[in-house]
This record gives sequence, C-alpha cells and structure tokens, in this order.
Amino acid sequence: MIARNETILKWSLYAAATALCLLVQGGLLQRLVFWGVIPFLYPLLAAIPATYEGPLAGSIFALTVGMVCDLLLPGPMPCLYTLIFPLAGLCAGLLSQSWLPAGFLCSFVSAAAAFLLTDGFRCLLLWMRGSAAWQAGALLTLREFCVTAPLVIPLTLLYRAVFRKTHFDG
Amino acid sequence: MKNFLKQHGLWVLFAAAVLSVALAVMSVLSANSSPLVNLTGMIVSPFRAGYTAIATWFNDLQNYYKDTTDLQAENAALRQQIAKNEETIREAEAAVEENKRLHELLKLTQKRRDLSDLEAAMVTEHEVTNWTSSLTLNKGTSLGIEVGDCVIDECGNLVGIIDQAGTNWSTVLTLVDTDTSLGAQVFRTKDLGIAQGDFALMRENRLRMDYLPADCRLLAGDIVETSGLLGNYPSGLVIGSVEEVQVDDSGASSYAILAPEANFDALTEVFVIKSFEIVT
Repeated sequence: MIARNETILKWSLYAAATALCLLVQGGLLQRLVFWGVIPFLYPLLAAIPATYEGPLAGSIFALTVGMVCDLLLPGPMPCLYTLIFPLAGLCAGLLSQSWLPAGFLCSFVSAAAAFLLTDGFRCLLLWMRGSAAWQAGALLTLREFCVTAPLVIPLTLLYRAVFRKTHFDG
Repeated sequence: MKNFLKQHGLWVLFAAAVLSVALAVMSVLSANSSPLVNLTGMIVSPFRAGYTAIATWFNDLQNYYKDTTDLQAENAALRQQIAKNEETIREAEAAVEENKRLHELLKLTQKRRDLSDLEAAMVTEHEVTNWTSSLTLNKGTSLGIEVGDCVIDECGNLVGIIDQAGTNWSTVLTLVDTDTSLGAQVFRTKDLGIAQGDFALMRENRLRMDYLPADCRLLAGDIVETSGLLGNYPSGLVIGSVEEVQVDDSGASSYAILAPEANFDALTEVFVIKSFEIVT
C-alpha cells in the first residue's frame, strides 16, 4: 500500500510540474517570438522526465503528454503527438539508461532527439500529402530547437527536483 | 494706611473731587480727548496693536488650514474626476474602434446581401505552434458556428476557415496554413485556380494559387477572390493580391504567390459567415 501511495505521489508531482510548464507555455512563451518562432516546450515535456524514469515509465508518461498536446494543439493529424511523444520518451529513457546519465547533457540530447522526431514526422506528413518542404522544415526545426534549448536547464532542474523528492525521501 | 485715611481722607476726597471737576472742565473745553484719556490711550495703543496682530495671525492660520483642507478635498475629487474621464475616454476609443469595424461591416453587408448571417467573435489566441497558422475565437457551436465556416475581417477579406468548433470556442486555420485549400479566381482576368497554404511560404505570411493556365497574364497587385467552386464557400471574398507568377516545374501550368489582404497578426475581432446564399 505504501509503494502504491508513493507511486501516486510521484506521478502526481510529475503531472503538476508538467501542468506548470503547460501554463508557462500557454500564458507566456506562446506570446514571445524569437528568431521568427515561438519557444515550443512540449517535446521537452515528453523527453526530460523519461531521462529520469527510464524507457517504460518515461514512454507511458510521454504518451499522456502527447494526448494532452493533441487535445490542446491544432495539427495536420489528430494524434500526431500521441504517436511521436512515446517514441521520444523511449529514446530519452534508453539514452539515459545506456549512454548518458540523466542530467543537463542527457536532457539536451534527448530534447534534440524529440524535436527531430516530432518535426521530422511533420515533414514526412507534408511529403506524403504532396507538398514536401524538407529544407524549410529542417530550418524551422533548427530555429525551434535553438530558441527552446535554453529552457532545457530550468526544466531539467524542475524534473530533477521531482525525481529526488520522490526517490530519496523517507 | 487706616490712620492715613482717618486723618487725611477728607482731603483726599476733596482733591479727587477737584481733579474730577478739573478734568470734566478740561474735557468740555478741549477739542480732542482729555489729557488723561489721551494718556491712557497712548499707553494702551501698542497693546491693542499687538492683540490685533496676534488675532489676525490666528485668523490667517485658521483660514490657511481651512483652505488647505478644502483644496485637498477638491484635489481628491478632481483626481477622481480625471480618472473617470480617462476611463470614459478609453471606453470611447474602444467604442470608436468598434464603431469603425461595424461601419465597415455594415458597408460589406449592404454590398454583399448574400452574407446575411454573420457572427462577430474575438480572437483570443494567435498561433500556438510554429507549424500551423491558426487563430482561436471566443465563440463556438452554441452560437451556430460550424467546422468549415468562412471567417472574414471587417472589410470582407477572407481570414481562414473554421477547423475545430467547441461549445464556446473555435479554431480558425488561416489562409496561409498548409491545411487550407479553396477555389480562387483572379478578379481582373477571371482565371481560376486553387489557393492553398504552402509550408515554405507560411512563415512569410504568403500562400500559393496553383493550377493557373501556363499562359496566364497576371500582374503584380491583381486581386484574387474566392471562386466558390471548391468547397462550400461564398464567392467574391477577397483572398489577397498577386505578388509574383511562376511557371510550374512541368511547364504545363503556372502558380502565383499571393499576399493575403487580411493582417492576421493585428486581428482582434473577426466575423464568421454561418450561412450564405449562393449567388448565380
């Protein structure tokens, strides 16, 4: 019973941290334009928790984030984020498990992978619909990542705090 | 003292009587005040001036305090009045803006009798991702807005198409979004084509008009309107103007780059065409 309560508390804290990030994105970041693009936190929300929680739990959490994003954001298909974010979470979880220990560098690489997957899939969809825009897509991905990359630091600190709180307390 | 009065009291009384009679006689004979009265007045006069100066100073102080208090109260009242006036001015400015928009809309509805059922809506959110060009509105299905309805600005320029509609909200995909596609016609030459968003042009707020004849003679600045042929959209809504014309890779057709007439970034209020009559 204690383990179950701890699990509930842990994911509640992750959910609260993610909700805070969604508020910041919707209330602030969406209104700021740098280098012609708005900072886009959502792929980071799928990738960074997975670096701390591993591939399985991370993928499931990323799936939930993806579903929320599909409900909130317009897109070329109804389940774009639900499909891609678990993959981003899986990659981030495997990366932290096998190559890089969870931390700033791992979050940074995971975020880059998440952006590549998400935006690469969008480019693929455009190509499938006969309006390929690989070059413009790649440029937009690069700009989007560069603008969002500095936010990897506060997000890593936030999720690391949640991880430490739920894994080392008591 | 008692002995003195007993011994000389009569003389003192007599002397006083003589002095009184003398003073009375002098005062009757004198043109001015009597010497004793004059002497008394001379002694008392500086004191009187002193009393008056002090009384005046007190009066002034009292008046100053009263004036200051009155001025402070008046100042506070004036500040409130200014705040009210400023609020009224702000409201008036907003009303003037709204009036201007509605005036333009009135002209549009008088000109376009087919657009009879319009719903005004506020833009609550602009783009939410870098991969779409969308607007979120504060009205939805509860007021009859449906997916596929056209959205225009107050001048009748097409803004986009409703993509999602909830009870009290709806999302518009603007003309430059890659998912937008509608029949278009060049007003001057009557050439037909399809206006659709292009990802490479979307960030520059431009769209393409495809499937134009290879030998079309479009000029920069030509106005492009909806043709009403592709999809259930009214005809004659201004999409934008031609910026440049290029021949397709195949060489069989041309395409034009269009600059939308509506300024998506500046939009605060739009109008949803809920229904329209087909003009033949």
